[in-house]
Amino acid sequence: MDAFKVLEIKKSVYEGNDERADSLRAELRNDGIFLLNLMSSPGSGKTTTIVRTIEALRDEMAIGIMEADIDSDVDARAVARTGARVIQLHSGGMCHLDAEMTKQGLSGLGTRGLDLVILENIGNLICTAEFDTGASGNAMVLSVPEGDDKPLKYPPMFSLVDVVLVNKMDAIGFFDFDLEAFSARVMRLNPKARVIPISAKTGEGIGGWADWIRGEVKAWKGAR
Amino acid sequence: MHELGAVFEIVRTVESFARANGVTKVDTLVLQIGELSSMIPKYIEDCFPAAADGTLLQGTKLRIETLPGNALCTSCKAVFNPIENSGVCPGCGGEDWTLLSGKEFLIKEIIAC
Repeated sequence: MDAFKVLEIKKSVYEGNDERADSLRAELRNDGIFLLNLMSSPGSGKTTTIVRTIEALRDEMAIGIMEADIDSDVDARAVARTGARVIQLHSGGMCHLDAEMTKQGLSGLGTRGLDLVILENIGNLICTAEFDTGASGNAMVLSVPEGDDKPLKYPPMFSLVDVVLVNKMDAIGFFDFDLEAFSARVMRLNPKARVIPISAKTGEGIGGWADWIRGEVKAWKGAR
Repeated sequence: MHELGAVFEIVRTVESFARANGVTKVDTLVLQIGELSSMIPKYIEDCFPAAADGTLLQGTKLRIETLPGNALCTSCKAVFNPIENSGVCPGCGGEDWTLLSGKEFLIKEIIAC
């Protein structure tokens, strides 16, 4: 008789990543660095929003940016023009970043002396929400042309984030985007989320967003 | 296709589990995937041989069990399958519910020989 034996493992596949993410978060807390994971679909204006965010905060804190894309360095070049420390990460076809890739990115960027690191995640509303990067805060950009029904279609993303930036508000007159209905849909999934309407192009709303970051960075450092 | 990264993670986890338990050959690996998980069983099966190549799991058979999605209706407390019912409670027609299960992605067990 064959001696087959069944060994129970019962382990979530995400467990390894969750452990690495927690240990990265603990390291960053120790170093007083707030890591913000910024997610969105392609073309929502993440990079322009980041450039605006750097302009609003660079005089009061040291900022580093990690640009994750499948290929190219166009985003890193745009951000580098602000004078912020920036690194371009290539995921090599992967559609999301995990804690290990984020850690490698941070070590490539060099975090010494930084207060805030923004990770511009890969443009994707689906699995970027499922893998903990080790970030201390999560935010997303949803632009007006994408439509106000997106919380219904991508509930995991909207359930995860602390802030939803509604970008391209300067163009809202051209689209059937109902900001009130959108906010209600977000609140139903995630009552703790803050919805901040912005225009990365005109600068509208960036002040409120920068205030949120200021508060989080201060709280994160204070909790050390 | 984001399954490949997850499959590499599975192979690593199972390899270290097998070593720790003195297992030198794994006949079958059993995974459990919730039907609301973003992981597609077909793609997991397709990339498993490539990820297992050259590891302790080379030649291991893969078995995937699907776990059903269950939702709890906020108004009438009925438990129903949100996929089969297109997200609408069959008891009261409510569309407000919380998910109880269906997003799992688990390494259940190995059958060692």
